[in-house]
Amino acid sequence: MASLSTTTSTAAGDSLRSFAGLRRETRILRGVAAADAPGSQLRRRQLGVVRASRTSPRLNGRKLRVAVVGGGPAGGSAAEALAKGGVETMLIERKLDNCKPCGGAIPLCMVEEFGLPLDLIDRRVTKMKMISPSNVAVDIGRTLGPDEYIGMVRREVLDAYLRGRAAEAGASVINGLFLRLEQPEGPGGPYRIHYNEFSPAGGGAGERRTAEYEYAIAFQERVRIPETKMEYYKERAEMYVGDDVSPDFYGWVFPKCDHVAVGTGTVTHKADIKKFQAATRLRAKDKIEGGTIIRVEAHPIPEHPRPRRVLGRVALIGDAAGYVTKCSGEGIYFAAKSGRMCAEAIVEGSENGSRMIDEGDLRKYLEKFDKMYWPTYKVLDVLQKLFYRSNAAREAFVEMCADEYVQKMTFDSYLYKKVVPGNPVDDLKLAVNTIGSLVRANALRREMDKLTL
Amino acid sequence: MMALLASPHPPTIFCALSCKRYHLGPRIRSPPPSLLLLPARNLSLVLPRCADGSAAAADGNMEKKDEAVPPTRPLESEKNKQPHQQQQQQYHHHEIRDGSVVKAQALKFEDTRWVGGTWDMRQFRKNGSTDWDAVIHADSYDSAANGNNGSDGSCGQQMWQQWKLRTTAAVATEAADRSSDSGGSSRGRLLVAEDPAVLSLNSGRNYTWSNNGRKLWALARSSNSFLMTEEGSVHCICGGGSGRKHRWRRENRDIKNLKKLFEEMTLYDKQWLATWQDDAPGDSKN
Repeated sequence: MASLSTTTSTAAGDSLRSFAGLRRETRILRGVAAADAPGSQLRRRQLGVVRASRTSPRLNGRKLRVAVVGGGPAGGSAAEALAKGGVETMLIERKLDNCKPCGGAIPLCMVEEFGLPLDLIDRRVTKMKMISPSNVAVDIGRTLGPDEYIGMVRREVLDAYLRGRAAEAGASVINGLFLRLEQPEGPGGPYRIHYNEFSPAGGGAGERRTAEYEYAIAFQERVRIPETKMEYYKERAEMYVGDDVSPDFYGWVFPKCDHVAVGTGTVTHKADIKKFQAATRLRAKDKIEGGTIIRVEAHPIPEHPRPRRVLGRVALIGDAAGYVTKCSGEGIYFAAKSGRMCAEAIVEGSENGSRMIDEGDLRKYLEKFDKMYWPTYKVLDVLQKLFYRSNAAREAFVEMCADEYVQKMTFDSYLYKKVVPGNPVDDLKLAVNTIGSLVRANALRREMDKLTL
Repeated sequence: MMALLASPHPPTIFCALSCKRYHLGPRIRSPPPSLLLLPARNLSLVLPRCADGSAAAADGNMEKKDEAVPPTRPLESEKNKQPHQQQQQQYHHHEIRDGSVVKAQALKFEDTRWVGGTWDMRQFRKNGSTDWDAVIHADSYDSAANGNNGSDGSCGQQMWQQWKLRTTAAVATEAADRSSDSGGSSRGRLLVAEDPAVLSLNSGRNYTWSNNGRKLWALARSSNSFLMTEEGSVHCICGGGSGRKHRWRRENRDIKNLKKLFEEMTLYDKQWLATWQDDAPGDSKN
């Protein structure tokens, strides 16, 4: 808190500050200055070499200092976990009221794990509707229990809440734009971070920069629709699949507090995003007729994990690391979870802030995250490859989602983030049904092509 | 020899000769019977030269052509054992019944393109490139005339065989390509052995095998196909394999497709593991 008060007392407008100490950043570092850690090291050979750093030098007279760049769910939860662990934390966010365009769906386990208050959640979706390219609608969610739901949040609300919690735990939240990073001169030297600080009165926004990697765009319009139509969306979210809506993703209508978010996304055909959005609106035409668009937003979304997620004493978390799933495009939970995991790894490696850490500690977080969630990502990747190939495959997908077993497996794995191996007999039946659906869909397509003029 | 590919189908040339000018008999596909038609063309080339290129020779050509059109006259004077002998002899009898004057012995068909024991290729040039059809014609006719000029027909025969091999190979390649698009299954594709001597039928109707023939037979069996011979060359109808040349091409393409599919499937895994791959020893910093 002390540093926050000093910033307010100094000049308004931009001022360059150099920040010495450790921090985490959202940009990829290039170049490695390698040096062997002194003393004995524990070497565990798993995916790579992971070294513990119990022999790292003690920090004298001060706590470990960590900077978190970016104050979304990942940054917020990381800062909170760090601060709680006794580490001196700075959270740098360029736009404190940012509402990232996002479906805003969070799974049930997030509410529990992160202790989110229920008033944060605008809507509790218990009915999902999947609509195929030929407008066959399937209701998903029959297997949900009475207390199970998908939470719909507004990002500006969620992010602010998490940042607030981090501040309460002792982290300093700085409204500033991260500019650049300076590598340490030698081993054990400090990283230097340069950022532009905005005065709280001015409420700076700063520019957003995207790295040059393959990414998807999410495009969303917030539409306020009449109350009668809003009733339909009271507990229902819709997913539209089809070539018209997106070649490699889906279009959605998700309810928020008093409006709906209609959006779509794509990786391969970014230039046609407006066309896809128009098609989504067209597909939902009857249900959102009479609505007014109150906001249009778009944002790049990562579509695969970055090649280097940890380097030196810098680690990537959340969207910066590329933790958005395929097929469903879910990112909020994984961002928050990865932030927390990384923070916990740092706290443990530094023994509550009393020691310097090194790359080995950060790799522990990577290992833990990969081990826990890689199967989920892989399964979703396979689903995407299998079912988003063509309209015929999407028809098969929707047909399969009508199956109760599928719904149960899907929701269980989504809500609780565990890929649960089900009953093998049922799994086999599922496999057979999948193939059958795909074959049927393709066969039907041929028949339809014959009929079409 | 390779220029055979460039030339149009020889049979059609024979047909053209037969249909357009002489209105003789049915279409004939293989060289020996078509010799019935060949002489006319060569005659037109040959005779003017013999007649010193005089204008009158043209008419003389026509007359002589008409006379010579039943071409058995030069043939029947020879004692070759061609399978079409029957036909020629019939023709010859017909001639005799007609009572037209036949001066078989007198006609000695000289082909001026035969120079010093071999064909002078320069004289076969047509439109700037060699007219292989004419070479085949000349050689086949000449051999039928029992080496009138000295050729034994092997040249023409070989070229004919090569042409046949190549067209069937082209057809087979095309079929194989098409079939590889549908997964590689095909029936009745043609493997044409380039070596006509692998299998020979001796008089006792027994097959004698050369080593190559054995290999081919093994190949045919392994690829679920059977061998069939035709006029001294070997054709292999394959149910599951194809010619070496286009099988390699098909395998190559299949391998490429499989590789692409594999890469597509494992790309995501690679992206996930990328951060672990560059963990070189000594990478840690304090």
